[in-house]
Amino acid sequence: MDTASFAHSLQTWTGGGPLWIWAALSAFLIIYLIALPFGGFATYVERKVAADFQDRIGPNRVGPYGLLQFLADAVKMIAKEDFVPAGADRFLYNLAPLLVVVGACSAFAVLPLSQYLMGADVNIGIFYILSISTLVAPGILLGSWSSNNKWSLLGGLRGAAQIVSYEIPVALSILPVVLISGTLQIGSIVEQQGWAPGAENAAAYHFWNVFHNPFCFVASILLFIGGLAETNRIPFDLPEAESELVSGFNTEFSGMRFGLYALGEFAEIFVMSGMLTALYLGGWHIPFLNLDSLFVKLPSGLIALVQLGMFSIKTLSLVFVVMWLRWTLPRLRVDQLMGMCWKGLVPLALINLFGTAVWMWLFNGRSLAQLIFGIAGH
Amino acid sequence: METGYITALWFIVISAVTVPLMLGIGWLIRPKVKGSELKSQAYECGEQPVGEAWIKFNIRFYVVAIIFIIFDVEVATVFPAMTLYKSAIAQGAGGIAFIKIFLFIGLLLSGLVYCWVRGDLEWIKGAAQGIKPRK
Amino acid sequence: MSETAKIILVLFQLLTIASALLVTFSPNILYASISLLFAFLGVAIMFLYAGADFLAGVQVIVYIGGVTILVLFAIMLTSWMYQVKLRDSRAKLIVPLLLALFGLLPFLYQGAQHLASRVLRTVPPDFEAFAFSPKTNAVGEALLGNYLLPFEGITVLLLGALVGAVWLARPK
Repeated sequence: MDTASFAHSLQTWTGGGPLWIWAALSAFLIIYLIALPFGGFATYVERKVAADFQDRIGPNRVGPYGLLQFLADAVKMIAKEDFVPAGADRFLYNLAPLLVVVGACSAFAVLPLSQYLMGADVNIGIFYILSISTLVAPGILLGSWSSNNKWSLLGGLRGAAQIVSYEIPVALSILPVVLISGTLQIGSIVEQQGWAPGAENAAAYHFWNVFHNPFCFVASILLFIGGLAETNRIPFDLPEAESELVSGFNTEFSGMRFGLYALGEFAEIFVMSGMLTALYLGGWHIPFLNLDSLFVKLPSGLIALVQLGMFSIKTLSLVFVVMWLRWTLPRLRVDQLMGMCWKGLVPLALINLFGTAVWMWLFNGRSLAQLIFGIAGH
Repeated sequence: METGYITALWFIVISAVTVPLMLGIGWLIRPKVKGSELKSQAYECGEQPVGEAWIKFNIRFYVVAIIFIIFDVEVATVFPAMTLYKSAIAQGAGGIAFIKIFLFIGLLLSGLVYCWVRGDLEWIKGAAQGIKPRK
Repeated sequence: MSETAKIILVLFQLLTIASALLVTFSPNILYASISLLFAFLGVAIMFLYAGADFLAGVQVIVYIGGVTILVLFAIMLTSWMYQVKLRDSRAKLIVPLLLALFGLLPFLYQGAQHLASRVLRTVPPDFEAFAFSPKTNAVGEALLGNYLLPFEGITVLLLGALVGAVWLARPK
């Protein structure tokens, strides 16, 4: 198979031009056509899903089924009066949304939308997502502190403590995949999750990592739980708990500033779901089908579209589950939250890591699917 | 590999530019209104805010941050070692690599177990169990 | 290295230096710690250019995600610390400056050598071939191979730090 970054694909499809322009353009396209529109549209979907769960109609005025609601919201937010609360620290107040948006949107660089549409298939792939999303925690803490509001400060402190704590189980739940794949590069991790029992290098393809061994299955669930906490979603929405802290760390942010926080949060949900998809759910792969080994050679543009669709279906299903949980689970208390992290998720994640390593050792690196179909190890 | 990292830097730059861009567009198109003192007051459910919000808070947050850093360094150190495990198994040296990596993790795990047993992971200090705090 | 890459590098170096100066001279301790965040980011990007991509990730994840948060927490824990305006006499700068110069000496020596080799037309070291090449596996091999003892030593150190930190935080 041949992997090409989005910039390279653009260069091939258009036939030339210096690469750095295509690199900049690919970054622009992914942020402005995927990250930000997703963040906007997700607010509409969130409200519609909430309405369905509560047997209401939900937004239905702007456009058919209220589909254009997010555009109306965007115009409203941009045109709203913009004010900084009295006694706020203006510089930090302006800086905070920037850190959150950068932390959330930059992570899109390594999401494997398709083997031809990755922004940047860098060598430290997963590590890049982990590290760049840490910018969100200082953003939330500074935003809350600078607005000089007691609710905000409480929310921000909770938020920062929660995000940093849950980073450990998230990282530990990623490590089994690193053990299996032997690389941090996301493109290659996804590629290994393909399915090609007949091919001569069948040992290199071990189907979705979530079914690699029983420990990986648990690890993927832990990663999902950790992702919920990292993105401040219910049941981990203590930083912005409406019923106790008004709106938590973003209480004093109005208009587009609040909009940017919301965009950042939804973009992060997409990143977390996309990461889970890429690491455990096979990324762009269609189950039991290898597009590269079909009897006809498909054009790369078509493959890119099909893979983008597959990746989106998986990721958006996970986003739907996130929204679903919002109307299902109650919120945790702070002590329960911390207890769950250090006494629940971290030990479990370590057990998974240990178990995966033992499995790899015992079965010579073969996955469950490879064992069932009798494919030799390497 | 260079293009990849340059693209990643472009992602950082473009997402950083987005924020002032959006706020700037808003500044251009919205009607200019003069704010009032009451409007810019901190929102505390309609009550007059008493004093500043910048108060001292629970030291537990600090302890959480310290424990986090220690585990963060551990995870960061173990990442490159983990990438080698697969090739070590392929070369038949899986056992040695396994021992090396899990000795590393196991030692720190014993620290976590120690904290757990002594009740340092309790959010409410010393309340949950009968263990007496340090004399 | 392409020209764009070089321009981006210079931009981020300027960011690093400006933030570092702000850390030193800002009277507001909170602004100083935020500048520290940007200085860390700039250093991470320089690691990237030096070919240490994994180290760049570690720099961001440990220093921005961990140490900055810890510093911010520490400032916010210390009552009224963030309202203190730090203005020291300039005389106190002399000793740190001398120490910094002392630390810089080897680099200055290297730089002078590099410059001399340019002037004398001997072959300069090939930094550019080194940049942006993946090193994660090499780091792993070093940790599990030659540097196994330091690798295991890290965990003992971390264990000590963990026990010490929670011991200090216990109710008296």
